Formats: sequence, C-alpha cells, structure tokens
Amino acid sequence: METDAPPSLIEQPSGALAVTNTRTEFRSKAELNRIRRQREARKTYGRGPRIDVKNVKDKKLRRNLTNLENKYKAAALKAKEAEILLENQAGFLEPETELERTYKVRQEDIQNEVGLDVAQKKFELKLDALGPYVCEYSRNGRDLILAGRKGHVATMDWREGKLGCELQLGETIRDARFLHNNQFFAVAQKKYVYIYDHHGVELHCLKKHVEVSHMEFLPYHFLLATLSISGQLKYQDTSTGQIVAEIPTKLGTPVSLCQNPYNAILHVGQQNGTVTLWSPNSTEPLVKLLAHRGPVRSLAVDREGRYMVSAGQDNRMAVWDIRNFKEAVSSYFTRVPASSVAISDTGLTAVGWGTKTTVWRGLFSKAKPVQEKVQSPYMTWGGDGQAIERVRWCPFEDVLGIGHSEGFSSIVVPGAGEANYDALEVNPFETKKQRQEGEVKALLNKLQPEMIALDPNFIGNLDLRSEKQRQADRDLDTPKEDIVEEMRKRARGKNGALKKYLRKQRKKNIIDEKRLKAEEIYKEMLEKKDEKHKEKQAELGPALARFARKE
Amino acid sequence: MPGRQAHGRPLLPGPANIANGKKPGKSQARTLKKSRAKATAKALDAFAIAAEEVPESTRGVRTRGLEDRPAKRPRRGDDEEDEDFDGFDDEDDAPRKKARRGDDDDFSDGGGGGDGESDSEEWHVGVGAEDEDSEIDSDEAFGESDEERFDGYAFSGSSSKKKKKPQKRRGDDDEEDEEEEEEEDEDDLESLGSDAIDLATALDQYEEDEEEGEDDSGSEEDDESAESEDESEDDEVDPSKLGELENMIAGFAGDEDKEEEEPTQTGKTKLSLKDLGLTGIKDEHIKKSLRLMSKEEKAVKPGSSKKLEVPLAKRQQDKLMRSAAYEKTTETLDRWIETVKHNRRADHLVFPLAQNAHDRGLSTGELMPITQKTSGTELEQTILSIMEESGLGPSATPQQKNDGEAAPKLTQAEIQEIARQRRRERELHSREVARAKRIKKIKSKTYRRIHRKEMKRVEEAELEAKLEAGELDSEEEREALDRRRALERVGTRLRENKWAKLGKKAGRAVWDENFRSSLTEAARRQEDLRRRIEGRANGSDDDDDDDDSASDASGDGDVRNRLRAELEKAAAYEEDDEPKSKLMQMKFMQRGEELRKKENEEAIAELRRQLDSDGEGLSEDDEKEIGRRQYGMGNSAATAKTPVQVSKPRSVEARPSVSSTATMAKSESTQSQPSVQTNGQSGGAWTSTEQESSAPGVAGVWTQVETSDKKNKKASKTRGAEIDISSATMVAAQPSKAKPKTKPQVTEGEAQDGAQDSDEEFVSHLPMAIRDQKLIERAFAGEDVHGQFEEEKAEVEREDDEKEIDNTLPGWGSWVGDGVSKREQRRHKGRFVTKVEGVKKTDRKDYKLKGVIVSEKRIRKNDKYLASQLPHPFESQHQYERSLRLPMGPEWSTKETFQDATKPRVIIKQGLIAPMSKPMY
Repeated sequence: METDAPPSLIEQPSGALAVTNTRTEFRSKAELNRIRRQREARKTYGRGPRIDVKNVKDKKLRRNLTNLENKYKAAALKAKEAEILLENQAGFLEPETELERTYKVRQEDIQNEVGLDVAQKKFELKLDALGPYVCEYSRNGRDLILAGRKGHVATMDWREGKLGCELQLGETIRDARFLHNNQFFAVAQKKYVYIYDHHGVELHCLKKHVEVSHMEFLPYHFLLATLSISGQLKYQDTSTGQIVAEIPTKLGTPVSLCQNPYNAILHVGQQNGTVTLWSPNSTEPLVKLLAHRGPVRSLAVDREGRYMVSAGQDNRMAVWDIRNFKEAVSSYFTRVPASSVAISDTGLTAVGWGTKTTVWRGLFSKAKPVQEKVQSPYMTWGGDGQAIERVRWCPFEDVLGIGHSEGFSSIVVPGAGEANYDALEVNPFETKKQRQEGEVKALLNKLQPEMIALDPNFIGNLDLRSEKQRQADRDLDTPKEDIVEEMRKRARGKNGALKKYLRKQRKKNIIDEKRLKAEEIYKEMLEKKDEKHKEKQAELGPALARFARKE
Repeated sequence: MPGRQAHGRPLLPGPANIANGKKPGKSQARTLKKSRAKATAKALDAFAIAAEEVPESTRGVRTRGLEDRPAKRPRRGDDEEDEDFDGFDDEDDAPRKKARRGDDDDFSDGGGGGDGESDSEEWHVGVGAEDEDSEIDSDEAFGESDEERFDGYAFSGSSSKKKKKPQKRRGDDDEEDEEEEEEEDEDDLESLGSDAIDLATALDQYEEDEEEGEDDSGSEEDDESAESEDESEDDEVDPSKLGELENMIAGFAGDEDKEEEEPTQTGKTKLSLKDLGLTGIKDEHIKKSLRLMSKEEKAVKPGSSKKLEVPLAKRQQDKLMRSAAYEKTTETLDRWIETVKHNRRADHLVFPLAQNAHDRGLSTGELMPITQKTSGTELEQTILSIMEESGLGPSATPQQKNDGEAAPKLTQAEIQEIARQRRRERELHSREVARAKRIKKIKSKTYRRIHRKEMKRVEEAELEAKLEAGELDSEEEREALDRRRALERVGTRLRENKWAKLGKKAGRAVWDENFRSSLTEAARRQEDLRRRIEGRANGSDDDDDDDDSASDASGDGDVRNRLRAELEKAAAYEEDDEPKSKLMQMKFMQRGEELRKKENEEAIAELRRQLDSDGEGLSEDDEKEIGRRQYGMGNSAATAKTPVQVSKPRSVEARPSVSSTATMAKSESTQSQPSVQTNGQSGGAWTSTEQESSAPGVAGVWTQVETSDKKNKKASKTRGAEIDISSATMVAAQPSKAKPKTKPQVTEGEAQDGAQDSDEEFVSHLPMAIRDQKLIERAFAGEDVHGQFEEEKAEVEREDDEKEIDNTLPGWGSWVGDGVSKREQRRHKGRFVTKVEGVKKTDRKDYKLKGVIVSEKRIRKNDKYLASQLPHPFESQHQYERSLRLPMGPEWSTKETFQDATKPRVIIKQGLIAPMSKPMY
C-alpha cells in the first residue's frame, strides 16, 4: 500500500532534479516502523490476500469481517514477534575469501573444529556383508532404521548408539520405513510387506501388498503407501487396517517414489521419464510431468511443497516448481546417474551418485523470483568405493545419513537441520509419556484420506459447480431407501426388526424422524392387533370372549 | 383492605403514617394538616427507603407504566373501597373539581410552572435521589389514578400534588372520619395556598426530621416562607429540569389542557411574590395579607370556574396516558441501547461486572517513587526539588548507599592489595610483550647503527664528489651550514623557554603583535626543522632517542658492548615464580605466553648473531641481506627467515623452533625445498616472488604438469567433438577450471592430498560431463519421449473437450438401406445431437505448460468437504473462504493468539453477580 523506498533524485534533460518516491503524508517514525513491521509480518505469516471490507454492504457482516481481518493481522504480528523465541540460528560453512571453497572442507576438518557432541554425530557403520543399505530416520530424528538388501534390518537410537532391534530376515529387502513413531516399522520384503514393533516382533504381514519396491508413510493420514514392482499403488490405513485405495498406475515398473509433505501427494518416477502425482482419491494421476529422457531415478520434495528435485538416468538433475509445474532451473548434471536425492529442512539438497554424495545449497529459494543456477556444490563426501544407495537427512540435526554398499555413514553437514523445533509438532527430545500422548493426539487429529488433494486448503471451500451440473452428477435413478419400510417388511416373528429397533432406540432416548416413523408404524401394528383381538372376541361371543387369544 | 394490602407497593406509606400517628408530642395548631403533611413526608421517606432497597432496574417501567393498571383494576371492585369512593364522589364532586381547578390555576400561576418545580424539588429533597423521586412520583400517580378517573379529572396538575391526597388517605384508612374532616377542610381552604402550605409543611417536616435543630414552625406563614425558599432554591438548582417537566405535563394533559390553560393565563394577571423578587419574605403581616389575597382570589374563582371543561373520555385519557407512559418507557430503555449493543458485539464478557466491583474507582496501579520524569504536577515537582535540595532526592540516595556499602566492606589495605594484585597480573601478562618491545628496540638500534656507518660512508663519498666538482667550498661553507642548523635547534629550544612561557601566561599573544609574529616565526622554524630532520639523509636519530644520540658520540665498540649487555639483560630475564592469576593459569594463555617467549628468544639469538658478525666486519653481501630481510619482515615470518637460513648454515638448527604454527612435517618439506633451489641457483639471485610460486609446487610438480596436460588434451578433444557447451554443461566446473593457477597459493603449505584430489576431480569433471552428455544423447536418441508425451497430451485434451454426440438412429423417421440418396442421408444425420460439456483446450490448466498434463477430472471424493452453497451472511465466495483460513489450534499460532481465539464468550467468575446498575456506555 505504501512504498518505503527512499526518495531518489532523477535528473531531467533540462538539468532539473525530479524527486520520486517522496513521502507526501506525514508519518512519525514510530508509525512508519509499525507499518513496516506489519508488512513484514504479513509477508511471512500472512494467510492470503485480504478482503476488501469497505465494499461490504451488510453492516454486521462488515463489522465481523473487519474483526476477522484484525485477527489475521494480530495473529501475524504476534507470530512475527514470537520469532524472538527462536533462539537457535542455522549457520552454514562460509568461505572467508573468494577463493575458498566450502566443498573442499572435509569431514575431518569439521570434526576437529566442532564440539565433541557434534563431532560424535559423524560415524561410520561398517556392514559390508549384507549388501547396500537403505536408511530412514523416524519423524523426530531420534531413531534410524537400516535395512540391508540381503535381509539385515536394524533399528537404533543413533545418538546414543543404542540398538533397538536387529533382524536377520534372510530374504530380499527393498525398503523399510518407520510408521508414525519409532514404535513400529514396515519392511518391504521379498513378497509381502511386514510390520514389526520396536522389539522386532512381527505384528502384521500385509498380504495385499505384493512385491513392494517403494514405501512411503503419510503421518497425518496414517496411511502407508506402497508401490509394487508391477506398478500397483496401495494405501493402507495403519490405524484402522483398512486398505483405502488400490490404484494401478499402468505405467510400468516404477523407479522412484516420494511424498510431498505439504499435501500428502505421492510423486512416482516412471520408466519413461515422467513423474506422476497421485492421491488415493483418483484412479488416474493428477498430474503427469515429463521430467527426464530416461527413467526418473530419484525424487525429493522440499518441506514447503514448493520445489521438487528429480534426478534421472540421463545424468540430469532438475529443479521443479511444483506449484505450477514449471522447471525452475535448467538441469544440473551428475557424472553418474544419481541414485538418491534428499532435501533437508533448510533446503540443502543431497545427491548420491556413484560412490559420492554432493550437497547443494541454494538450488531453490522461495525468496528469489527467478531461480539461479548454483555454480558449485556446498559439500562433497565419498569417493572411497562404496556405491551409494540412499541419502537421508536427519530431521533437526546437521546430519546426513548415507546408506551404501559397505554400511552406513553419518556425516555432519553444517546448517542442514531445522534449528528450532516445534514440540507441538515433532519433538526430538520427547519422553515416553510425551510420545504416547502425541500418538493419541495424532490419532484424534487424523486426517481422512479423502482430504488429500493438490491444494490441501480446499476443505470448506465453495463448490463451484452449477446446479445443473450437480443435478447431473447426482444419480437420479437410485430409488430412495426407506429404512422404516424395510423394517416393516422384515418384521417377522416375535422379535421383529421394528420392535428391536424401537427397543434399542427407546433406551437411547434419541428422537429423530426415523424413530417417529417407526413409532407410528408400531402403533398402527398394535391397533391392528387390537382390532383383530376384538374381532376374535366378538366371534367367540360375550361369554367366551375372555378366552380369545392375544397374539 | 385486603385488596390493597395484597398490592404491596402502595401499602408502604401506610405503616409509616401509622407510626407517625402514634408519635406523641405533636402540638401544632393544625394537627390534622400537620399529620397529613407529616404523613406525606414519612411516606416520602419510606419511598426513599424502598427505592434504595429495590433497585431501579427491577422496578423499572412496569411499576410506573400501564401494566400496573390491570392489576389495580380489580381493586376497584373491592366493596369497601368502592363504597368509599362512591360516596366521596357523590358528596364532593363539585367542590373537588373546584379544588382541582384551583390547583390548575395555581400551577399556571406559580410563575411559569414554579409550583410544579417546587413539587419536583420537594421530591428531591424528600427522597434525596433524583432518579427515585420521579419514579415514586409516577408510581404514586398511577397508584391512585383510578381514583382520579372516578372523579373524572384529567391529569392536568402536578402528579405529586394529586398523589399527596391518596397517600394521606391511604395512611388514614383506619380513621375515615378524620379523612372526611380533612376533605372538608380542604374544601374550605379550596386554594392552592392551602395545598402549597400542605406541601411545604411536608417539606418542613422532612427537614425537621433531618435536622432537628431547625426551627419548628407549625404556622402557615412559616410554611409559606419555606415554600418560597424552596422555590428560590429550585430556581437555582435545576432550571434544566423545568423543560422536561413541562413536556411531561404537556404529555399528560394533551391538547385540551393547553386550550384550557389559555383563558386561565389571561385571567392570571396577578403578580406573585416571586415576580416581585420577594421570595424570602419573613414578615408575618405581609404574609397574612398575602394569604388573604389568595383567599380572595379563591373565593372569586369558584364562580368563574363554574364552567368546567368536560373531562376527556376515559379511553382518550387512557390513550394519552399510554402514549406518555410509552414515551417515558422508551426514554428509559433507550439509555440501555448502547450498552446492549456493545455487549452483543463484544467478543468476551466478564461477570461480575467491573462497575459493580467493590474496589471500583480505586486505582490498582502501584505507587512508584516520583522521579524527575514522572513528576507530573507542580506540587510533585516542588516536593521533588525540595527533596533534592535537602539531599533526599532519588538521585542522591543511591550514591550514598554505594558509599556506605563500599566503605565498611573493604579496608584501605585490602583495596591496595587488590590493586597490587591486579597490577601484578597485568604486568605478568605483558611481561613477554614488554620484553619483545625491548628486543625490538635493541634490534632497531643495531640496525641503525649498522646503517649509519654505511650512510656515513656514502655521504663522505658524496661530499668528496661534490668537493671535487667544486660545488661546495670546503670548510667555511660547511661551518655556515652547521651554524644554521644549530641556530634552528636553539629556536626550538626557545619555544619552551622562559620568555615563551611568560608570554603565554600573560596572554601576550592577544595584544602584542610582535610577540605573536615571533611565535608564528618560531612555529614556522620548528616545522622547517622537523622537515629537515626527516628529509635529511644523514640526519641524526630521533630527538626522543636520547641514548642513541649519546651513542653517537661514543665509540663503536662501546655501543656494541652496551647493546650486548642490554641483550643479555633481556635474555637473562626469567620467569620468576610469582603468583599466577587464574587467567594466566589457563591453558591457552600459557600457550600464547610460551609462543611469545619463544619468538623473543629467537629474536635475541639473531641479534646476537648479527652483533657477532658485525664484529667481524660486514661485507657487501651483508648489506644486501639486510635489505632482503627488511622485505621479508613485511611478509610472513617464514619467508623472513629463509634468507638467514641461506646465508648462515647454523640457522638451520634454529629453524624447527621458529615454525610455531605449522606442523613439523610440513615445515620440513618446505625447508628442504628452498635449500634445493638455492643449491641450484646462485644465492641472492632468486627473488622472493619466485620463491613463493615455486614453494607449493613441491608437493605436486608432476601432478600439476600432468593435469595441465590432461586439460589441454581434453580441451582439444572437446573442440574436436564440437559439442555445444551452452547451458547444459556443468557450470559448476567452470570456475574450478581457472582455479589451478591460483589455488596453489591459497593451499600453499597444506599437504592435503585429498583436497587436491577432489579439486582435480572437479577439474576433470567438465569434459567428462560433456562427453557423457553426448553419449547420453545418443543413448536416448531412439526414444522420442517428448513426441510421445505431446501426443498423449493431445489425446487427453481431445477427450476432455466439449463434444457433440449424434444420437440419431438410422431408420428412425427416415428410410435406410440402398437407394436412399446421399442428400437424404445427410438430412437425417444431425437430427438428435447432444452436447457434452467439457473443458476447452484453452481453459485447461496445462494449456501453456510444456511437458505437463494436469488432470481436469473432478475428484468426487473431495466433494464431501466442499460447501454446497454460500453460507448466509457472506456476500461472496472470497469472503467466505477467507473466514475459514484463520486457524484456531496452538500448532499454527502463538499461545496468545490461541488463547484469545479459544476464550469463552462469557466468563463468569465466582461470587455474587450483581446486575448492571447503570448503562455502561
């Protein structure tokens, strides 16, 4: 609304100086400051454009909307002010001179410089017998699951080096993943998906998920999504155990899978270079995106759901703006087709290719209107002959976990983790009680699978279809279901459905239309019975009337 | 009278009056009147009490409004009352009417409603609260209004007046004869005067009750005076009420009343006391005559007021009353509108209300001490200034306190001890630094000394050359020069001499032109001299360096000895076991100290060496060496040391100790490197720049060469392949391409093979990438991915687009088969076409996006979370959807916001919740 740009002088051809951006209205410094703060707050914490209150005709509505706008404003301001509570700041490796390169800094250098507790986060697990390992962290970053191709599964509290459980399954493992907390994990084995608890006890064998190659867990919906080699995408609700959706992708063997944490849409990388976006609510992809010329080897989406990084067999790595499905940056190159991509909370992108891992910083930035190509990577690691299988960032830590053919390596990457965690969301230091409470809360707040859509804010929006369209959508041929009628028909024998229904309902003392109807019918029935009885009595005559049988 | 008793309110004056009646010792001339007046007063008092007891809001309009009437109506049916009234009516119809008439007249008489005013004032005084009085007023009026109606009188007079009677009447219910009597009495009087007196008596009585010390006048005269007093008081107190009251009266009386009033006004030419300004008449005689006058008037009046107006029909009266009551009601209720509105709109309401709080009106803020800033009022400021003056001000106190605290705690000795301790620590900390400074000084001395010799030699040679050239004629000239110099020196001394000082002290510069000029001259000369000293090549040492100038005179060897002694002293300094501070005991401090010490020692050793070598006599090389060393000193310590190392083989031994920061291995590698080079090259021929560039090459001479070779090769290769390196290339490698030249400098001493390795990899990265890219392009050439995708997209677009379906059945309404002409066929073709709605190509979301297909199909499962229609108050979709976007949960907002959002609308705190006592806004 007001420009804060300082007034500038522009020389006219005549030699006069024209002043632009002059402040015409007088405002005190405090006032200006307040306005500036408000604008900043709205930029970071605002929720969409404001509505024009002045044009509202209804007085009451206008007042209500004005109050609402004030609430929005106050909430944004408060949130901005609360930034002061974010005490921790993320810091990156900064070159001192132009010639210095951060990617030359090696793990040993960092280890020498940082404190002991941080230095301890860099460790190696030598597990070269049971094949390349995939690794996953739990949502709060405390626990780590390692699954070797050849059947070795281990969970551990990696910070304390405490082993949770260790399984030798003796069959191929394609993927492993924690469910909503560290108490359960799912493992995609040779044929089926199994769910184990934290002791390693097998709880479930999901026989409907056959030959699963990729898994994702949607924490807010409690959905375990699996993608099989045959291209079947299945969603299973882990809280109720029901299969929510089974969707054949019909695009051949999928190569990669990742979820968009913003809207719980699954991104599947296909053989033909397309990336398809899926929700459990539609049998065909919401979006198809031609990303690469060859198979899409790996995908990752940043936590705000703005950018996607894809790496393909064609040695390219692309950054996408997935809100409008545009390629944000012309591709980067990897020397070898990348095997795994991961994006950290602060936007660092780890790319595992061949025997190496490269970390890129600033591949995308929402602050910039146009994304620029980054010239050199932030950090590099590897080159010691271990084929990288998977890279994963540890939440809330400056740690990158790398699963490779010779085990697992955890390296320190400064500035990777979110410095300020939100204990209401995920608490990395939670106690047992907190975990349990959090589980219950999460279950209470569980979102329905039908709520998944490209725009997660659609809930409660206005249905914009025309009435005609709606009418057409409604299936007019279906007969109206009259439950009472049905009950009447079914009411055979002494304990008919109607009686039973009424008996139960009377206890509940809920009076609704249906019950009223039922009562009415019941009354009718009684009257009929009475009549019958009287008839019988009449038949028998006054003397013998008493012997008429009551039904 | 059970009926009445059942009706609580009007009963109230009853007991009061009874109590009054029982009161003994009432010796007044007109006991009856008195008792009546008293009764009214008491009644008023009782009303006041009742008003206090019963809050206004509960009584409100109802009691004074029309709703009261239906409740009262049945009362009329009560036999006793009825009889009473009837009889009364029969008997006293005319006289009463008369009386009323008189009343009316008097009202108009009383100087623009002065009487009415007085009435209201009366109530004021009697009840003491303005709100209550009006209430009682109307209350009473309605309470006995039925009676009035029976009489067939309109409400033309003041309500209070009318009320008086019934009050009294009710009060004297038990003594009917008395009442009768009184009626007669009234009839006799038939005057406003009597009535006024009556009121005044009531007032008087009240006042008497209140303040017993006042004169108790039973006579009418007194009453009169009291009334007049009241009138005057009234005039003073609330003239604003007058208008209101008039309005009210008008409302009660209606149009008829006004008409009525006109003739009375014309007839009322009599001047009242008030008009004459004689309000406070005390004279008995005058009062008497006044009363007589009024009596006369009254006597005349009955005749004139014979033609009374026909009273309004009862329905009309009722109507008028209703309208008046309605107005009154709305007025009362309107006062609450704002409050109600406000409360309805309020986000939160808290009960009990703040206005009913027991501590309302008290400020809960803490009392802070007054300071210069906060003192707002003059009084505060004065007090503050007085306090300041007397040393009790806020600024004075803390100082005193501090002093008081510090003094007793530490003794003088302790303070000294602390200071000494601190000094020792400081000294200890800076001892090595000081030592370094001293060594530096010695160093500079030696250096200068050595130089001076050389300079001297040069100068002499120059002089000789000059002499030979004949520029300088030897001794005389030289002497003159020296003299001038000496004079200049003297001039500088003069600056500080007695004369100058005196002059300065006396401020001579202000008035003495000569002095000033001489001062400026002195300053100029000094400046000149300074410039000379600086500019002079063979100039002596700095003025401040006294020992040096002394050494000038003394012999060379002497100096050397002295220097050596000094050096010894510096070297001999050893760390004595003085108590160490905490700071010094820390590791890093110790380390730093160690380092400094080491450096110092080295410097000493070097100086010694120089002095020794100096003794042997310096060669030309030496000078060169000096020059080089100077150069080196500007750079890092390592480079500075190398020349020494070259020239003096024994310095090699000292070397390892020199390198303080670098590791042993590293230093060794660098050490061996230059020595090899110096072997190869003649000493002193190589420059320092050369050395710099060659030094890092040690680690990877061959690698560097090879890489460059590789690079060239690859570059040529790429050129040969002619691959477009525009946008697709790994730009990341480009800067590193230029790097190899500069990088060795940066990573100079670091023997980091790994880093180099990775770096090299990036160098070789680019060509690989290009090569790979070409390969990849070739590899994926077979599959036209883009083409396929575009085809698919077109297909989808077609499918989603609007369609027209021809539902025409061949043969339906037309002929089919052979022999039907083409024209006929065509005619029947598009007869039944249905149009299927769809998404046009241009409306698609992916219309402008390349390589993207966005499904346009509606997702039915999501529909159940959509609003089917716009909810009521909202005018647009945007407004509605905006109203949904504000989250409530603690996860999405700050605690404050969350609490605000979830705060209940009505908060009820524990305790008695009193209703609102008055409108809040």
